[in-house]
Amino acid sequence: MTAFLVRRLLSAIPVLFVVTLVTFLIMWLVPGDITAEIAGPDATAAELAAIRERLGLDRPIWVRALAWYGDLLRGDLGYSYLLNRPVVDAVIERLPVTLSLTALALALATVMGMLLGILAAVRHNTILDQGAMVTALVGLSIPDFWLGVVFIILFGVWLGWLPTGGFVPLSEDPVGWARTMALPAFTLALTQMGVIARMTRSTMLDVLGQDYIRTARAKGMKRHTVIFRHGLRNAMIPIITVIGVITGVLLSGAVVIETVFSLPGVGRLIIGAIQRRDFPIIQGGLLVTACVFVFVNIVVDMLYAWFDPRVRNDR
Amino acid sequence: MRPISRQGRRATSGRTFGIAAALVLTASALVPAGAEAQVAGGELVFVQSSNPPSLDGMATSSQASRNITMNIYETLYGLAEDFSPIPILAEGVEISDDGMTYVFTLRQGVLFHNGNEMTAEDVKASMERYRRVGATANKLNPVRDIEVTGRHEVTFHMTAPTPTFLEAFSSPRAPAVIIPAEDGETEAGRNSFVGTGPYRFVEYVPDSHVTIERFPDYSADTRHDGMDGFGGLKTAYLDRVVFRIIPEPGAQVAALEAGEVHMLEQIPMPAARRLSGSPDIVLHENMPWAFTTFHLNLATPPTDNVKFREAVQVALQMEEIMAIASEGLYQLNHGWQYPGTTFWAGDIGLEYYNLADTARAQALLAEAGYNGEPFSILTDSNIPEHGRAAVVIAEQLRNAGINAVINQVDWPTALNIRLQDSGWNGWTLQMGIEPVQGPVAMIATLTSPARPHFVVPDPELDALFQELTSGATVAERQDSFNRIQTRMYEIFASIKIGDSGLMQAGRANVKGFVPYRYPRFHDVWIEN
Amino acid sequence: MTARADPPAAGAPLSLAQEVARARRRRRRAFLRRLFGHPSFLIGFVILVLFALTALLADWLAPYGPTRIHFRAILAPPSADHWLGTDGFGRDVLSRIIYGTRVSLRIGLFVVLFTGIIGTILGTLASYVRWLDALIMRGLDGLMAFPGVLLAIALAAALGPSEMNAIIALTVTFTPRTARIVRASVIVVQQMQYIEAARAVGAGHGRIVFRYILANSLSPLIVQLTFVFAVSIIAEAILSFLGVGPPPPAPSLGNIIADGRTYIQEAWWITVFPGVVIAVAVLGLNLMGDGLRDVIDPRQRSNRGGDH
Repeated sequence: MTAFLVRRLLSAIPVLFVVTLVTFLIMWLVPGDITAEIAGPDATAAELAAIRERLGLDRPIWVRALAWYGDLLRGDLGYSYLLNRPVVDAVIERLPVTLSLTALALALATVMGMLLGILAAVRHNTILDQGAMVTALVGLSIPDFWLGVVFIILFGVWLGWLPTGGFVPLSEDPVGWARTMALPAFTLALTQMGVIARMTRSTMLDVLGQDYIRTARAKGMKRHTVIFRHGLRNAMIPIITVIGVITGVLLSGAVVIETVFSLPGVGRLIIGAIQRRDFPIIQGGLLVTACVFVFVNIVVDMLYAWFDPRVRNDR
Repeated sequence: MRPISRQGRRATSGRTFGIAAALVLTASALVPAGAEAQVAGGELVFVQSSNPPSLDGMATSSQASRNITMNIYETLYGLAEDFSPIPILAEGVEISDDGMTYVFTLRQGVLFHNGNEMTAEDVKASMERYRRVGATANKLNPVRDIEVTGRHEVTFHMTAPTPTFLEAFSSPRAPAVIIPAEDGETEAGRNSFVGTGPYRFVEYVPDSHVTIERFPDYSADTRHDGMDGFGGLKTAYLDRVVFRIIPEPGAQVAALEAGEVHMLEQIPMPAARRLSGSPDIVLHENMPWAFTTFHLNLATPPTDNVKFREAVQVALQMEEIMAIASEGLYQLNHGWQYPGTTFWAGDIGLEYYNLADTARAQALLAEAGYNGEPFSILTDSNIPEHGRAAVVIAEQLRNAGINAVINQVDWPTALNIRLQDSGWNGWTLQMGIEPVQGPVAMIATLTSPARPHFVVPDPELDALFQELTSGATVAERQDSFNRIQTRMYEIFASIKIGDSGLMQAGRANVKGFVPYRYPRFHDVWIEN
Repeated sequence: MTARADPPAAGAPLSLAQEVARARRRRRRAFLRRLFGHPSFLIGFVILVLFALTALLADWLAPYGPTRIHFRAILAPPSADHWLGTDGFGRDVLSRIIYGTRVSLRIGLFVVLFTGIIGTILGTLASYVRWLDALIMRGLDGLMAFPGVLLAIALAAALGPSEMNAIIALTVTFTPRTARIVRASVIVVQQMQYIEAARAVGAGHGRIVFRYILANSLSPLIVQLTFVFAVSIIAEAILSFLGVGPPPPAPSLGNIIADGRTYIQEAWWITVFPGVVIAVAVLGLNLMGDGLRDVIDPRQRSNRGGDH
């Protein structure tokens, strides 16, 4: 297992290198820079040039790239002039929000999806099965930000059950945290639970049709023991793969949901940085997000390998 | 002469209650004005859409920053309720007869948030720093040097007599705030955020909130009875003010309705209309708030042709543009100052305003030899009025036979594109602070040596501007301004669309709020 | 091996070539019967056709021009004059949705086209030319390290808001996974017997690639592209919501929602209707994809599931 882990970690390095290349490409493509934001609308060209020089933005891109890599190797992601703090700090401050949102959404999607999938598998070919699968598919087809806006009005204003936005840190007030996270996480989860539901259903159907299940039933084992103890455990493998996939979607979904629900997460940080040309934040933020995603994929691979020893020896 | 605006009518006498109090329909019995008692304490949550780019008062000209910084810093001179310059941290100023020396006497016993008294050293350090990092550092260009001439006296030696210097010096655009001398050498944005205002800085969590708290040892300006613009007698009742950053307007309104926040910097007009009957919400109308303008690019065809530009002017229906761009909160105004102000130029240019005369426009287009070349309208997605105005202008120009296309980018890109000589023909711009700063600041955006908004300077306009800045008396300057407005309606380089307003909203239990160029949280309290 | 068979004289025995051709036609017909008999595919196909027709016939179907301003009817609720109401400019929402469908479908189509072509080229190159494999795969892994549509957002913001840039951004985002799928199925096909046979007979590389490998790798690709189409429609909406999609005044399903979200409580129709339209279009495409996958390659059920 350790050899597998080490191999996976090593192979992540060239991937992250490509990520940094891509972020530099984006920087190169973006017209304009931060000087306009700092100087204001009626700055003269001379003033803008002076600010540009002060911030080192007039150096050719490959010089800036080398400088950035040099800093990166020392653990320094740069400094944001607009936010007035080091990029590392800005990102670390926001990471808990995005991560907790993604984790919560993942948990909700998994639970709701698996329940739906199990229901459909167990009541295979009945109206419940069809209904569950249609629900799953509809959830996949709905744009999450649209649903979020609708939910804010429904649950936040008309019913007044949940706050319309904002973030309360878990350490400050767990109940407040749960209330501010509930709607955004639920919105995200609804759109992705369909993936898990469908996967659960199909693998459960595969597994439930197998001989050893029939044997267990013949031996007199109770229905739900059969489903949960035997059926589900073997269905976990493909489900875990899918979890890896939807984590990516949830992470990227968090970007938009953070804007809709005004959560101070990494997604909003990056979007804002793109709009204001805060290059260090764009680079640092994209890099950290990609790192998190790569790490999640490694974890998923590890889980997969743990469940299925055959995988451990694969490339 | 006072501008016709709600905030302009505020007289600084007795208790200032404002229209907010009059509009409140509370469930409890209506309390006669004058008998409401201020309640100390509490935390008020104010919502704005964007992060403040900086909390260093002098280093940025953004409104998102001013909302906060004008509550924690103060300036030597600032604008009164009617936008005339008044002393705030200064006791007064003595200007020599030749206009070459300004002696500012400072108020005594004014404390910074760090407990130290403000002295002339702090003022000098602040001014030197402003020259270095101030966003509009050029407003100190006429000052040759600054001398400390007493513990509470600072003298400015000028390079040349500048009659409009005090007006420019009082400008709130990137205010020349007074900070402790210890912060004098700091880089932009790296000062300690210590000022002299009624509130002091607590924390800033980007994308979430900025918190300020009451400064108990605030030195109130006892020369006044009540607040007056950026100055006056300020009394802070609230314990804390939290500036929540919520980018989505729909979410902002939802939060206000749900009672999660107390005030919105801006409420979209349709929501305002919907909530106008609600007993829990009070609307504060800020009218006029800004000029809606359309600048043409004189360096690029087809807008390099004056007949073409005239065609654009006469083709536009300003009323439709304003109604949609401002969502119904507007006043038609063809002039480059607000009606009722000192430099209001009367009916000059009115004959070209809001004509919607497509036939005449087409004749002018023919005269100009227009052949269907594309007319690119540069606008941005950050300020909604810009995008909305662009859409309507494009539609109207197309109906007149001009091949108008919209190029909507984000604000930084727009600023970059408009600094190019080509690639755009028209630029939508809300001008909020310039009309309030006076005619000099307004016309400075349209003349050399800065790059005029319409790119290619007009020598005649430049000459008139020189006259305006050096005119010794008000009457002379008014005459110059009249001739400037005449010239504007000859070259049609910048088109005035109208005046738009800003609608603000608050919970009904927030008392004392009087809308102004920034949200003032002194003399505001929350009733239980 | 495909000789053009002359139609047999009535009653005469068929040649081998003719038998093969007829068998192929029969298989094709059976395949189409199964496809259109599959309820998911059929429903999805009908929905897609309806959308395509709406987009094509927009000029006839829409009651007004999409940018026509009705000054006196701003934010008007659904009525006889404006079936789905008007927006903040007094523009008819129904007309904007009809024309917006055209833009959204066009973007989806181009993304699918470019993703398909580039993904196939890259996937085939990677599996066929060994030394390129590692290079290409690392590059694609790097692109896939950006979760979901984050890369598309960053690229679209960098390139500037326009329809073409949205297409480019989305193509870059979806190509890696598509290339992977092509590569995987090409590798499988490469190892099959009939490829060895063809090589033994002396068929050139080009012929092998086009004739056999691609033809047989097509099925998973088509299923994937259907889902790419579905995701593109939602992704365009996300880009427009963040202000980096097709710019005004031309409508796209996404930017109508973006315009309307400020007035969600005062004019719910601007936000709700385009969202429903997007959901139905994407649902249709997802159903089609499901149906295709079931009919083409039932073994694949476990792998992807509307991955966006």
